[in-house]
Amino acid sequence: MPNETLAQTSNTLFNIAFVTYIVAMVAYFFRLAFTRVSVAGVTSSTVTGTRIGLVGTALAVAGLALHLVSFVARGVAADRMPWGNMYEYSSGMALLVVAVGLVVVQRRFGYGHLMGFLLAAAVLMMTSGLLLFAEAGPLVPALNSYWIRIHTSSMMVASSIFIVGFAATALYLVKDTGERRVAASGGDSYTGSTVGAARLTPVEPDARPEGYEADGALAVSVASPLAQREVLSPVLFPLVPGVIAALFTLLVWRAPVAAIIAGSVAALLGTAAWYAVPYLPPAAKLDNLAYRTIAFAFPIWTFGVMTGAIWAEETWGRYWGWDPKETGSFFTWVLYAAYLHARSTHGWRGRKAAWVAVVAFFALMITFYVVNLFIVGLHSYAGPGLV
Amino acid sequence: MTETLPPRERVDPPAPRGPRLPDIPGPVETLGLAWRRLRKMSTALVLLFALALASVVATFVPQEPVIARTVELWRAGTAGPGAAWARVLDALSFFDVFGSWWFLAITAALFTSLTGCLFPRYRAFARVVRRPPAPGRGLDRLAHHEVLRTALPPTAALDAAETVLGRYRRRRVEAVDGVAQIAAERGHWREGGSLIFHTAFYLLLVGIVIGHSFGFTGQINVAEGSDFADTTVVYDQAKPGRFWDAGDHRGFVVRLDDFDVSYHPDFTPKDFVSTVTILEDGQEVRTTQVRVNHPLVYRGMKIFQARFGMAPRVVVRPAGGGDALFDDRVLLTQDGPFWVGRAKVSAGNPSPGDGRDPVPQIALDLALVPDAAIVDGELRINSPEPRNPRLAASLYAGQDLGLGRPEPISSLEFPQSDLVGQAMLTPGGSADLANGLLTVEFPELDQWSGFQVSHAPGRRVLLVAGMLVLVGLIPSLYSYRRRLWVEARRDGERTDVVLAGVALQRQTAFADEFAEVRDTLEAALAGPAPLRHAPAVPTPQKETRR
Ligand code: HEM
Repeated sequence: MPNETLAQTSNTLFNIAFVTYIVAMVAYFFRLAFTRVSVAGVTSSTVTGTRIGLVGTALAVAGLALHLVSFVARGVAADRMPWGNMYEYSSGMALLVVAVGLVVVQRRFGYGHLMGFLLAAAVLMMTSGLLLFAEAGPLVPALNSYWIRIHTSSMMVASSIFIVGFAATALYLVKDTGERRVAASGGDSYTGSTVGAARLTPVEPDARPEGYEADGALAVSVASPLAQREVLSPVLFPLVPGVIAALFTLLVWRAPVAAIIAGSVAALLGTAAWYAVPYLPPAAKLDNLAYRTIAFAFPIWTFGVMTGAIWAEETWGRYWGWDPKETGSFFTWVLYAAYLHARSTHGWRGRKAAWVAVVAFFALMITFYVVNLFIVGLHSYAGPGLV
Repeated sequence: MTETLPPRERVDPPAPRGPRLPDIPGPVETLGLAWRRLRKMSTALVLLFALALASVVATFVPQEPVIARTVELWRAGTAGPGAAWARVLDALSFFDVFGSWWFLAITAALFTSLTGCLFPRYRAFARVVRRPPAPGRGLDRLAHHEVLRTALPPTAALDAAETVLGRYRRRRVEAVDGVAQIAAERGHWREGGSLIFHTAFYLLLVGIVIGHSFGFTGQINVAEGSDFADTTVVYDQAKPGRFWDAGDHRGFVVRLDDFDVSYHPDFTPKDFVSTVTILEDGQEVRTTQVRVNHPLVYRGMKIFQARFGMAPRVVVRPAGGGDALFDDRVLLTQDGPFWVGRAKVSAGNPSPGDGRDPVPQIALDLALVPDAAIVDGELRINSPEPRNPRLAASLYAGQDLGLGRPEPISSLEFPQSDLVGQAMLTPGGSADLANGLLTVEFPELDQWSGFQVSHAPGRRVLLVAGMLVLVGLIPSLYSYRRRLWVEARRDGERTDVVLAGVALQRQTAFADEFAEVRDTLEAALAGPAPLRHAPAVPTPQKETRR
C-alpha cells in the first residue's frame, strides 16, 4: 500500500531539488559572464567567476542528492521501482541528466560551461513531470513484472544520455556556425573541413568586427572567440527555440500559459547559448562529446528495445506488434543508427550528421510525449491499460 | 572512430577529346550500376531514413492489424481527417504500413545493401586479421612518440616491453635499418564486432520469417466451468502462419475451473488469475494457474491470460415452463462501470411450414452492475466486485433484427419498437416478459476469462540474434584500432628505447592509453635497479589530452 507520508516527503524533496536546480542553473550561466577566453580557446575564470562556478556546482550536487532521496522515497512509498508512470520516469531522466552532466561532462570532460544547459534540460523534464503528476500508486497488472526494472530502466538511462548528447549536438551546431562565419569573414579559405572550422586558424586582428579596440595582446586574444558571437543573430537565437518549445507545449498539453512559460524558458536558453558561444569548447570537441554520449546510449537503447520485446512476449504473447510505442522506439533507434552511420560517411559527417542527431532526438521526444499521451496502444502509461 | 580527417582531394580524369557516342548502359551494366549504388553507405543511410519515415507514418495513422476499429472509423469519416483522405491513405497502404509492398521493398533494399556492404568487409577483415603486425618506420614522426633510456641490453629491453604489451597482438621484427623492433596492434574487435552486429540482422530476419511462417496465434474467451479444445474451429480470432495447418493444433482441452480478480481501491484491476485444467483424451493432465506475465506452456503452445469479464447465466423459456429456448452464459464486456453484452435467443423462421406462425428473431440485451446502489436518484458504484449484482435484461423480438447478417451482434441497431420487455434481475431471480409469453431467468453469475493461445517458433533464433547484435555492437563502438612499436637501439652503455603509436579512431582515448603504456614500460625498463636518475631525454611535446 502506498505510504502517504513518505510519498509526501518525496514530493516535497522533488520541489526543493527543482528550485535548487534552477538556482544552480542561474549560477552556471552567471559564471559565463566572468569567463575570459583566448584565441587558443583556453578559457579562464575571474575570481568571481570561479566562486560563482563553485556555488553552482555545490547547488547542483545538493540538488542531485535531494532529488535522489526523493526518487528513492517514491519507490519505497509505492513499494515498487519508481518508474511506473510518466511523472516518475521524467523525474528519473532529470536525475540522470544532472548526474551524467556532473560526473561526465563537468568532471571527466571538463566542460563545466555546458552544465547550465544540462540543468535547464533537467528543469524542463521536471516541469513536464509536474504537468503529468500522478500519485504514488500501484501498477496495472501488465506493468507489474520484473522486466519493468530492466526494460524501463534501460530506456530511461538511454534517454537521459541521449538528452546530454542532444545538448552537445545543439551547442556544436551553434559553435560550428560561429566558427565558420568568423573563418569566412576573416578571408580564410574555407575548406569545409570535417567538423566545423575548428581546425582553421583564428582570424587576424584586423578582421575583427567593428567596435573592438585593437589595443594590445588582450584584445587580440579575445577577438576571435568573441567574434563568433558577433556573427550570430541575437534575435534568432531566442526566437527559434522559443517558438518550437511553445508550439510543442501547446500541441501536447493545450495549455497556453504553460506554452508561454516553456517558450520563454527556451528563448532564455537560446540567448544563453548565443552568449555562451565564445566560451564553449571548440566545435570539434563538442562534436566528439555528442558522438561519445550517443554511442554510449545507443547500445543501452538497443538493449532496452530487446528486453521490451521479451517482456511483450511474456505479457501479450507476441514479441513485436508494431504498437505505437514499439514503433516509436523503433524509429528512434533507426534514426540514431543513421546518425552513427552518417558520422562515418563521407559527405555526411559534421553538420549533416548533427542534424540527423537532432531529428533522432525529436523522434525520442515524440516517442515519449506524443505517443504516451495521445496515441492509443497497449503501452498506455497515461490511461488505464488494456490488461 | 571518424575523428576529423581532411577531405580527400579528388582529381578529375581529363575529359575525353572529340565527340563521343552517349553511353547507354545495357541491362547488365545497369544492374551493376544499381548494385554499386546500393552498396554505398549513403544509400544505406537513405534507406534507414525511409524505414524511419515509414514507422513515423505508422505511429500517427492507425494501423489495421493493431487497432482495426479506429481504422474503420477513419474509413467511415467519423474519426480522422475524413473519408476522402482515408481513401488516399488506403491507396498508399498507410493503414497497414508494415504489410505494404513498399515497406517490404525498403526492407529488401536494405538487406541487399547490407549484403553488398558486408561481403567486401568480410574479405578485407579476413585479410587484415591474418596479416601480422607490420614493422613501423619513421617512428619519430608519429604524434605519439617517446624515447626512454635503460641500462638493459636491447634484447632484454624488448623482452620487458613484450610483457608490457601483453594484451597486444605483437611480433618481433626488424625495422628497415636492421634495428630490433616489436610491432604490436590491437582493436580488430571494432571491425569484427561491427561484422557480427550487421550479420546478426540476417539471423533476426530468419527468426521473424520462421515465426510468421510456422507460428499460430488465436484468441478465445471461455466462461468458468466451460472448456475449449485447441483446434482450428474454436478460436474467436486466429492468425495462423502461412505453413501452419489444422494438423498442427495439439487437440488438448483447456477447462477454466475458476477465475479470480482483485481490485485496487481505485477500481482498476490489481491481478487476475485463471485456474485451468488441461485434459488429453478426457484425462486430466495438469491443473495450474495462468496470470498476466505468467503464461502456461504446454506442448509448445503458450497460453496467456489476456482479458476477463462477467458471465451471467441466462435462461429464456416459454412462460409456464417447457424447454429452454436459450440457456447459456453470456460473456459481458466492460463499458465504464457496466458490463454489457448481447445474445441471440432465436434466429427466427419466417415460414416454418405446416401452417404454423412465423417465429420472430429474438435477442437479449444485457447490462450488469456488480455492486451499485441508487442514492438520491443517482447510481453510485460501491465496488467493482460482484457483491450485489443487478442484471438489466432487455428482450427484443422482431421479424428482422439483423441476426441473420454477418455483422457481430454487438454492432446491430435494434429498433425501439421491437423491445418487448425489460427487467432488473438479481441472481436466482426471473421475470416474465413479452406480455407474459417468455420467462427470463438469471440463475447465477460467473466470470469469463480470455486467453491468447500461441505457438511462436523462431524465438530462440531471435534471442540469439539479439545477443549477437549487442555482442557485436559494443566492441564496434568502443574498441579502436591502434598500433604500437617499440624499438631498442644500443647507445654505448645504455639503450634507447623508442615507443611510438598511432590510433585510427578515438584519439583522446588513445592518448590516455599511450601515456599508461609509457609509464608501465618505463617502470619495466627500470628493472631491478632503478634508473630514475638517468639523464632525462628531452621528450617531444606530448599531445594535450582532451
Ligand atoms: C539494418 C540496418 C543497419 C543498422 C541498424 C546499422 C547499424 C550500424 C551501427 C550502429 C554501426 C556502428 C557505427 C559505428 O561503428 O560508429 C554501423 C556501422 C557500419 N555500418 Fe551499419 N547498419 C545497418 C545497415 C548497414 C548497411 C546496409 C550498410 C552498408 C551499406 C552498413 C554499413 C556500415 C559500415 C561500413 C559501418 C562501419 C562504420 C564505421 O565504423 O566507420 N550498415 N552500422
